[in-house]
Formats: sequence, C-alpha cells, structure tokens
Amino acid sequence: MADTATPSAPAAGKEPLLRVEDLRKYFPIRQGFFGRSVTQVRAVDGVTFDVFPGETMAVVGESGCGKTTAGRCLVRAFEPTGGSILYRNRDGDEVALDTLDNKSLKPVRRELRMIFQDPFSSLNPRMTVMDIIGDPLRVHSIASGSELEDRVADMLLRVGLRPEYMRRYPHAFSGGQRQRIGIAKALILSPQLVVADEAVSALDVSVQAQILNLLQDLQAEFDLTYVFIAHDLSVVEYIANRVSVMYVGKMVETAATDELYHNPKHPYTEALLSAVPRPDPRERSQRIVLEGDVPDPAHPPSGCYFHPRCRYAQDMCATETPELRPIGEGHEVACHLAEDLDLRGITDLVPRD
Amino acid sequence: MTATPHAATPSALPPVETPESQEDMRLLVAGQWQLMWWRFRKHKVAMVATAVSLLIYFVAVFAEFLAPLPRDHYAADYTFAPPQRIKLILEDEFGNREFHPHVLGYTVEIEAVALRRVFKPDPEQVIELGFFVDGLEEYRVLGIFPSRKHLFGPKDPTQPFYLFGADKLGQDLYSRLIFGTRISMTIGLVGVALSLIFGILLGGVSGLFGGTVDNIIQRTIEFFRAVPSIPLWMGLSAALPEDWDAIKRYFAITVILSILGWTGLARVVRGRFLSLREEDFVMSARLDGVAELGIILRYMLPSFLSHIIASVTLSIPGMILAETSLSFLGLGLRPPVVSWGVLLKDAQRVQVLATAPWLLIAAVPVIVSVLALNYVGDGLRDAADPYSR
Amino acid sequence: MSNSNHNAGADILLDIRGLKTYFHLDEGTVRAVDGVDFTVPRGTTIGIVGESGCGKSVTAFSILQLVEKPGRIEEGSIVLNTGGQNRVDIAALDHDSEELRQIRGKDIGMIFQEPMTSLSMMYTVGFQMTEAIRLHMDVEKDEARDRAIEMLQAVGIPRPEQRFDAYPFELSGGMRQRVMIAMALSCDPMLLIADEPTTALDVTTQAQILELMQQLQEEFGMAIMLITHDLGVVAEMCSEVVVMYLGEVVEQADVDTIFHNPQHPYTQALLESIPRLGHSHEGRLNPILGSVPDPYHRPSGCPFHPRCTQIITGRCETVHPEISRLDPRHTVRCLLHEDPHG
Ligand SMILES: Nc1ncnc2c1ncn2[C@@H]1O[C@H](COP(=O)(O)OP(=O)(O)OP(=O)(O)O)[C@@H](O)[C@H]1O
Ligand SMILES: Nc1ncnc2c1ncn2[C@@H]1O[C@H](COP(=O)(O)OP(=O)(O)OP(=O)(O)O)[C@@H](O)[C@H]1O
Ligand code: SF4
Ligand code: SF4
Ligand SMILES: [Mg+2]
Ligand SMILES: [Mg+2]
Repeated sequence: MADTATPSAPAAGKEPLLRVEDLRKYFPIRQGFFGRSVTQVRAVDGVTFDVFPGETMAVVGESGCGKTTAGRCLVRAFEPTGGSILYRNRDGDEVALDTLDNKSLKPVRRELRMIFQDPFSSLNPRMTVMDIIGDPLRVHSIASGSELEDRVADMLLRVGLRPEYMRRYPHAFSGGQRQRIGIAKALILSPQLVVADEAVSALDVSVQAQILNLLQDLQAEFDLTYVFIAHDLSVVEYIANRVSVMYVGKMVETAATDELYHNPKHPYTEALLSAVPRPDPRERSQRIVLEGDVPDPAHPPSGCYFHPRCRYAQDMCATETPELRPIGEGHEVACHLAEDLDLRGITDLVPRD
Repeated sequence: MTATPHAATPSALPPVETPESQEDMRLLVAGQWQLMWWRFRKHKVAMVATAVSLLIYFVAVFAEFLAPLPRDHYAADYTFAPPQRIKLILEDEFGNREFHPHVLGYTVEIEAVALRRVFKPDPEQVIELGFFVDGLEEYRVLGIFPSRKHLFGPKDPTQPFYLFGADKLGQDLYSRLIFGTRISMTIGLVGVALSLIFGILLGGVSGLFGGTVDNIIQRTIEFFRAVPSIPLWMGLSAALPEDWDAIKRYFAITVILSILGWTGLARVVRGRFLSLREEDFVMSARLDGVAELGIILRYMLPSFLSHIIASVTLSIPGMILAETSLSFLGLGLRPPVVSWGVLLKDAQRVQVLATAPWLLIAAVPVIVSVLALNYVGDGLRDAADPYSR
Repeated sequence: MSNSNHNAGADILLDIRGLKTYFHLDEGTVRAVDGVDFTVPRGTTIGIVGESGCGKSVTAFSILQLVEKPGRIEEGSIVLNTGGQNRVDIAALDHDSEELRQIRGKDIGMIFQEPMTSLSMMYTVGFQMTEAIRLHMDVEKDEARDRAIEMLQAVGIPRPEQRFDAYPFELSGGMRQRVMIAMALSCDPMLLIADEPTTALDVTTQAQILELMQQLQEEFGMAIMLITHDLGVVAEMCSEVVVMYLGEVVEQADVDTIFHNPQHPYTQALLESIPRLGHSHEGRLNPILGSVPDPYHRPSGCPFHPRCTQIITGRCETVHPEISRLDPRHTVRCLLHEDPHG
C-alpha cells in the first residue's frame, strides 16, 4: 500500500513542491559575562534535497545530526543562516521561504504544517481539544462558532477520535491519542506539505503502527506531501518513498527507499543499516561497528566529516570535503569513493540460508 | 487506496473505552484551575493555613467592629493594667450560679518600696460582657455604614476592659492588635503589588527580548540582591523626612520594601518566559500564525499565572516581617499609626517588659500570619503545575 | 541456539515465582508487577520485553529490593542460586541487611535506564568505580584502581588511565553507558541486569554496546537480563524471552519460538504491528487496537481482553488466566491454552 498510494518514482515528470538548496543553520555559542558569541554550532551545514508532490521524503540520521533543526527551518520556525528554500504554493507560484517576512509568511503557514515529536509538550495543557485544534482556523479567520466546532468534530473523526472528546483537556488522553490530536491540528488547515518530526518515536510500539497507518491514510485522502524526519530506519523504510541520510549537519546520501536500503553508496548509510536490530532471530545481521562517537557539530572534523570513523577512508578523505553528486537514477551521494566501493544493503547483511 | 470515507476504516475507529466513573469524567474535562484546586485541597496544612489567613484578613477589614475599643482610646488610670480573665459563671450572694460572662475590675495599690502601682482584680467590681454591645464612639463599617456595635465588649463601655492588658497610656492592647492587623497585613499586600508590577514588567521585558536588555536587567537584579536588605531598608527609612504624615510614611515604606521585593518576582517571570519560549506548544502556536501578543496573553500567561500567584503569596510574609522589624527599630511606621511592629516597639525596653510582659503578645499575630501565609504559599507552589507528575 | 541444557535445575541462577510489587498511592494501588514468574539460566541472556509501563523496570528493581517507598514487594520469591546448595530468597531479606548489600553489586550488577541513577556527576568515574569495587572486594586502593582501569579497558574506553579521572558529564552518552557497564561488571557478577541499556542511544552506538555486551558475556560468562521494548534488540541478543503485559508475564519461551511460533495473542499482535527491515512492502501494518490502559483502570479478567482479537467472549472478561506450560521451555498465560490438568 505504501507503494500504491504514491508513485515510487515521484521525480518523473513532476515539478518539485519544495527545493532545498545548501540550507545552513548555525547557532552561536555564547559565553562570558555579557554573553559574547564565541563559536558556532553548525547544526545544519549544507542540506540539499527536493520534495515532490504526493511523496513521503524521509530524513534520517543520528541524534544531533541536525534533523530537527533542518525541519524547523523548512516551516520557518527557525530563520536559516544561509541557503535557499523554494516552495511552490497552491497557486503554482514559487516563493522563497527563507526570506519571506512575517506578513507574507502567514498565508504559507496554512499550507505548510508541522507534526511534533513529543505528544506531551506539543499540546497546550491549558486548552481544550477544541481550542487546540480549532485555533488555527480562528487565527486565519476561516471559521468560528459552530462552524469551527463542526470542522473540529469532522477532523477528530478523521484521525480516529470521537467528536465528544472535544471538551476534554490533553491530560485526558494517552500518548497515541495526543499524537492524533497533534495530527488533527496540523491537518485542519488542509495543508499541502506536512513536516513530521519524529512523529511516532515517542509512542509505544503497538500504537506506533496505528499512527503510521493513519498518516498513510490521511496522505491518500488529502493528497499530502510529507517530510518525515526520523531515526528509526525500519519505520522509514515502511513509510517513505525517498530517503535522505544526514551526518553532522550534512546530507550524505539521497535515494529512493528501495535503492538506498538495498544498494547504499555511502559507508555511513551502510553502517547505519547494518546496525538496525532485526526482530527475527533467524536474521541476526553482521553489525558494522563504528569506532568512536558522532563528532560535535561545533568542532567537526576536516574533509569528509565521516572520515575518522570510516572503514574505507583514504588520505584524501581527511582533507577534501566530498560534494553531494548524482551517482545513478535519482541517487545522490557525498563520498569520494562511492563508485569504487562495494557496500552491503539490508539483504546482503543477512546470512540467507 | 481509494478515498473511502475514512471513519469507516478499522484503524480509525476509536477503541471502545472502559466505562469511566463519574469522577473520571470530571477529571477529563477539568481545566487548570480545577486541577490546581483539587491538588491544593489535598494539602491539609495549606488548607488550614488558608483558613487562618482569610480570618486574619477578615480581622483587618472589620477591625472597628471586632475591637471593643476605638483605636486611640486611652485611660491614664489604667497604665500597664494587666490582662483580665474572662469568667463565664457568675455566683450571686445566694450561691446561685448563672451563665454571665464578665471580668473583674481593678483595685490599685501603691507598692511601698518601688512606688509602683499594682493592679489586683476586684471581686466587687463585676463588669458584665455581652455580644453586639454599643461602644464609646460611632464608626463606619468599610468606611460607609455608620454603626456603634462591637462584636463583644463591656455592656457599659466606660468600664475598663483589657483582655490582653494595657500599655503605658492605658490603651487596650487587644483592640490595638486588631487595628494593627489592618496596617501590617495591607502593607504586605501593597508592597507585593508594587513588586509585582516592577517584577512582571522588568522580568517580562528581560525574558521576552533577551540580549542586551536582558543582560542589563539581570545585572541590576544581581546588584540589588547583593545588597544586604536590612541595612538598605534602615538607611532608606532613616532618610525619610521626619515631618511626613502617617499616610506618606506608609507608602514610602511599602516602596522601600518593594525595592528589593521585585527582584525575586522578576526572576520568576523571566525564567518562566524563557522556558515557555522553548515549549513545543508555543512554537506550535507560532506556526499556526498566532501573533506575538496573542502568544503571550493566551499561551504563556495562563501557564505561569499560577506560579506568579504562588511566588507572590510566598513574598508577603517577608514584607510583613520587614515592616515589623523596621517599625520595631523605630525606622518604619510611627504612632499614631498602629502596626504590630509599632506595638512591639513598646516592648523594647527591659524595664517595661518586667512590668508589662503581656506587651509581647504583639509578636504572636506576626508569627501566626507569617507561618500561615508561608504554608499557603507552599501549597500553592505545589499545586501551581497540576500537569507535572 | 546457544543454550541447550536449560531445564536442569542446578543450572538455574535466578528463580522468580509469583512476584507482586504494588505502589500504594493516594489515587489507588498501582499493581506494577502482578504475578511474574520466570527463571534465568546461568550464563544465558534472557530478554524481558513489553510496552512502556508494563512493569519491566519495577521487576528489575524488585530483584535487588530497590523498590522505593510507596512501592512494596507484596508476595513471591526471588531465589538466587550462587552455586551448589547456596540459595537465598532475596525477597525475604531485610531491606538493608548486609547480605542484601553483598548481593547488590557483587552477585548481581545492574545498569539503569537513567544513567544518572547510578553515576554521580559530582565524582570522577575512577572514584566511583574504586568505591564500588572496595565495597565488595577485599582489596587495597591501588588494586581497586588497577581493576577499574582494567574494566574500563575491557569495555572499550580508549585511554582508560585518563578517563579514570574524568567526570561523567565529560563523557558522551555511549561512553557513559560503557562506564556504567564497567562499573556493573567490576565485581564479576553472576547476573547483569541491563534496564534499557541502549534506548537513549543512537543505532550505531547501540550496535557498539550490544556487541560489547556479547563479548563480555563470552569473556566473563555472566547471565544477562536484558530489559527492552525493542523486539529487534531482543531477537539479536537473547536466547530466552519473557513477554510482559500490564505487570504480568504473558509468555516465556526461547527466542526462536517467540518470534516464529508465538502463542499468546499479545505476542502475536506485537510482532505483527512492527515494521521490519526488508519486509516493509509486504502490506499494511497491523496495529493492536487501542492503547495500554492506565494503571488505575486495570481491565478485569484477562488484562489484555479489551484489545484481544481472539477473545473468548463471556470468559476472558471475567476469568483471569493461569499460566499453562505448552512444553518445558514454553509457558503462556491465556485461556486459549488452558492447561487441561490445571
Ligand atoms: N537552539 C539551539 N542552540 C544551540 N544549539 C542547538 C540549538 N538547537 C539545536 N542545537 C544543536 O544543533 C545540533 C543539531 O540538533 P537537532 O536537534 O537538529 O538534532 P536532531 O538530529 O534533531 O537530533 P535528535 O535526533 O536528538 O532530535 C545539536 O548539536 C544541538 O545541540
Ligand atoms: N515510584 C512509583 N510510584 C508510582 N508508580 C510507579 C512508580 N514506579 C513505577 N510505577 C508504575 O508502575 C508501572 C510499571 O512501571 P515500570 O517503570 O516498571 O514500567 P516499564 O515497563 O519499565 O516501562 P518503561 O518502558 O517506560 O520503562 C507503571 O504503571 C508505573 O506508573
Ligand atoms: S569520503 Fe572517504 S571517509 Fe568519507 S565516506 Fe567516503 S570513503 Fe569514507
Ligand atoms: S485470555 Fe482471552 S483475552 Fe486474554 S489473551 Fe487469551 S484469548 Fe485474549
Ligand atoms: Mg530531533
Ligand atoms: Mg522502565
């Protein structure tokens, strides 16, 4: 169903909905008595990808690699330090998200929504479910009074909650139900593009599947495009059409999901895939154990950021930064040796009998 | 998947919930104040303390009615008259015992050696007490309705009635304590109100704008906090012109007290703003397109109002204590204004204490009110965030 | 699979029977652990899986009698067999008896879910390790220091002599976890309880830690009780699996049976609901209906019945199922598998 809902090669013939080019976001580190800016954390340091209408584009990577920061730049919760974000709005015009002022941003906010990771902190505990979900309608003067109530009730049904729950407060709901409320709030403005930041990571395993299914159903129903930020590669394989892998603020590989999982071209992607524990004792994989830790984005290594941990690193890797470049149909990678390496995908990692 | 009506797919159907009891239903639709009240209610000590505090403020409001004597009434004949005991049963000459609350009048002897006047209860002088008796002077309830009634007192208002004894002017300590309640308790409120205005303004600016403004305000707060409070207060009070009248002095003292009081509140407000700014639900509101002012008023303020109320309650006792100490040292309020501190000042000298130890009773309401407000504040603080676990 | 001689009684290191741990709160009693039976064979890795709040951590804390105040072990026995005829029922020991203190850290080491529960930020790694070692072993300071450095080396910490003097906050999450493992293993325990040792870590760091734990087990031969909600980690690491739901053990079997022939409807549903690498295009996920009930509203009868698709209407709502033994290594708590003899 993941395949039938959206074309598996979405790039073909369509204009991208979102074009992100060399996106950068640096945070200053302040120290001292009057808070002088000392250095910078390069949380996002050159991220490039396109998102096509109707697809689910996943961004994966380890903690601190800048996924959240990148996602927040996309919805302009953060002001990007550099790069460009071009968004094609409902009228077909391309707007430069990164430079819009607050006033011209407001209509875009209706089309570009976000689902948050933490179902507990993302809902205002002091508002009823109706106010939480209905507030965007009120702010954009779309509906009020009983019409607003009707629309909230309808939305609640669509995310699988009873409309009677409208008068309750968030504390009356379980984590999964709260996440449904968060989804309802994101979708009430009928957006085009939804950025979901770790939308299922905080949920119990049994509830995770409910929400993943719901997200897929809603995508088909409302023609949504998702940017799905996650660290769980099994979940991503299930939901995404294309996947981008991030490492220390940079994008290292982008490809269609099957291609990336079965035919990775970046050594980091290979290691990441090998590290995913498989829920099947007959498929115990051979882990590629990386040495050391993820580098601190305030002091990244020279050259290829991955070189201190890369099994294939050569001298040039320590000095020259590899650029993201196409290596096949819809497959981009940032590794000097991409063509020469024979990396193992998820099927090769499992000893088959 | 085709666009089937979504509510029909099995994954979308809400699970059948286990039946909920009446109480659970109430919990589900309870707002923050309701939840806070439920949590506060569990705090037994705080509940008692709340009752006590409310009682004290009641006394402050209806002082004229509750005090048997007018505030400035004095009687030179009764200088340092000791407290009288209220007796409930009156025995007449035939030995019949009857319920008749009364106190005994005094006989005065001059002690030979020290030439001191010594008061003794005089069984012959029965001063009958009653409820809702007429007093000496007319007063106005809440400053509006004229009345002569007092909650209780001698049936004949000219007779001496000193429940807690008298001071050197023969003034009734009990009545004066009641009048002192008004000043002492309101000085806390007014002082806190002033601190609150400064605190919210400066703390809010600091937390909202950040950067240089925040830095300057923070450094200022640190400076104020580094100054030892008592000497500062003393210095400032001592600098007040001698010829200021009671009202001016009263307000000047509240301002002096809140000069330090606002720093604590400003910190609370700033801290709340800073932490709330990072909350996901605030960011979510921003992404909804809610304007900045709406975010502050509708999202941030309700989230920390309860914390502010708790902090405010907790800072009232400090103000009360400060006023008491200043007045005790003679630097705060002065007669004819009556506050607990002013009353305690009378008990400053050892000789006076030896003759009239009852003057120390003035410390009791200070202790009680400070403790009570502290417990209320503790309870409020614990209940302030009903969503924490 | 790795362990073959499981049911020989002498090989049982830890035998838990009928364990019940309740929390008595104002709002009511939380039956956090409500009938847990399982055994840990010597030298093997046993996995405890279940969703958040099902009582995994409380079970672990109960084994060391570390359950905190409103909580209490109500019933049950936790028999530790340290060798030969040397058996102690931990549940019967006094809270702060010398014997219990010897068991904690010496016979049983533990890695906590929250690293901060066992590592203090105020002291150096080395200080904390030597303290722990000297508490249980009769050694001099220098010897303890050598032992600590040796353990830091064993858990793969580079330059252990330098890290010995580091404070925990100077270490990364993965390093801290290694230090915790080093500490837990420093007295050579027979059982290592690891409560979600990798949940807070990234996959690549998780891979490092899991690899490390496997190596150390080969080297030191201790049994591991691995608590996690990640079925992938269980499949990779364990030879035996205990599945918990709402404070009860609902199924216990060897790892292959749990993943390929599960008998309890909850285990089956759980396995069907998770996305699997490489199998994800085989269709829609099959979630479990509803969510885990909150602890104050435990369903009657079989606690899983409101979410069970195989419910026997009329029975499961009222009858609380007993444990049935399907074969020597496989037990299930479900009315579908009622013991005809019991
Ligand atoms: N407001 C901020 N100020 C300073 N540094 C920040 C800020 N937000 C994020 N960072 C830093 O930027 C880096 C990227 O953070 P980000 O939250 O985007 O990572 P992430 O990939 O979402 O990680 P996770 O998986 O843990 O959510 C981290 O090193 C983080 O410490
Ligand atoms: N100190 C405590 N006071 C009250 N209830 C508690 C306490 N500790 C645990 N509980 C309750 O006991 C139950 C089991 O908790 P436990 O921590 O064992 O779950 P868990 O399986 O470890 O979950 P997780 O995967 O989230 O760590 C929960 O319902 C929890 O609310
Ligand atoms: S560029 Fe070099 S170091 Fe970087 S991933 Fe490729 S081979 Fe490894
Ligand atoms: S006892 Fe009944 S409800 Fe419980 S798991 Fe078995 S079949 Fe389902
Ligand atoms: Mg993140
Ligand atoms: Mg736990």
